[in-house]
Amino acid sequence: MSVYLDLTNEEFAFLSDKLVIRNFEKKEQLLKVGEVENYLNFLVKGLARKYFYKGKAEVITQIAREGEMISSSASFLSGSPSPYIVETIGPATFLSITRQQLESLYSSSPRIERLGRLIITRLFLQKEEWEHECIRLDTRQRFLHFVSNNPELMQRVPQKYLASYLNMKPETFSRMKHGVQKKTTGRTTLR
Amino acid sequence: MAKQGFSYTTALDGLHHYLSGFVALTKAEFNFLLPYIEIREFEKKVKVIREGEVERYLNIIVRGLVRKYLPIRGDEVITQLATEGHMVHSELSFNYRTPSGSVIETIEPTVFLSISYDSLEELYTRFPKAEKLGRLMITDLFIKKDYRYFDQLQKSTRERFLDYIRNHPQMVQRVPQKYIASYLNIKPETFSRLKHLMRPKK
Repeated sequence: MSVYLDLTNEEFAFLSDKLVIRNFEKKEQLLKVGEVENYLNFLVKGLARKYFYKGKAEVITQIAREGEMISSSASFLSGSPSPYIVETIGPATFLSITRQQLESLYSSSPRIERLGRLIITRLFLQKEEWEHECIRLDTRQRFLHFVSNNPELMQRVPQKYLASYLNMKPETFSRMKHGVQKKTTGRTTLR
Repeated sequence: MAKQGFSYTTALDGLHHYLSGFVALTKAEFNFLLPYIEIREFEKKVKVIREGEVERYLNIIVRGLVRKYLPIRGDEVITQLATEGHMVHSELSFNYRTPSGSVIETIEPTVFLSISYDSLEELYTRFPKAEKLGRLMITDLFIKKDYRYFDQLQKSTRERFLDYIRNHPQMVQRVPQKYIASYLNIKPETFSRLKHLMRPKK
């Protein structure tokens, strides 16, 4: 949280008082299609993904690791049914807050209101950055960009999920991965 | 140079109404905000921000029509078409204070109510209600962006086309077709082929 705003110990205690710890097994759904997202989730341990169905195929739009937020955010913020599923990849622990609790926090403290604004701004900008990347980069560049920024996800996340997230066919993903591994030099070399 | 049929009083009343859609503001509170707001006017086909400039302003369109695009390899990819009542700015540049990758250009003569980055930061510290207003306005942008992203991924070209003309009939009248095609990520040839769907069914 301190990335956004220096909270005093009291403020942090006040905030954490509203959080609940939620544990899930692997491949467990936190939220199904058509449900309204009630929680903003902060991932403490484990991995999770957000996806929707296009016909019978899953399309992954987010893969989250420790320290990141994952929720059906638009549903949480608007109160409308979620088109997305949020699901764990391995066993996972979240710190979560309900919409109601969050609203009560906002009205109790302008500083937490500010924290909320800064977090939502960051989420908004991440979405914008992702859109720009998808427009600017071709498949290969997107792959290389992802690999150099997320080396540990390459180890931890099943390839088919990564391929879906990058909007690539699994075969293409696999081919590129081997292509990168063969190079012994270069900044995007995988280990 | 007041445009025909345009009055600042009406525009400011409009802004008060617009902001109150997010957070109720008394006349006095709104008047406190006013000194921070600038009125900016542009002719058509003027670049409001160029690639490489740092975005100074968050704009609300009072009148007119603009497009935002990314210049890519000699081509343009339109990422936003905005008209009266819409917010438009080069978001990443505005917030991170980095050179803009996006260009914003007017399509029609356009009037903005704008707030500069510095004014906005000052407003946040001097007027606590601005925090809530800012949060809710960004939340609204976030939700819209999420829906657009979802539609791009989930819907077919034909569905995207039909949804757009159904939900934005006034844009179809005002915006050159090549811009709408680019915004919807539809090839101009495909767009032309889909146009017969635009005629209302008897």
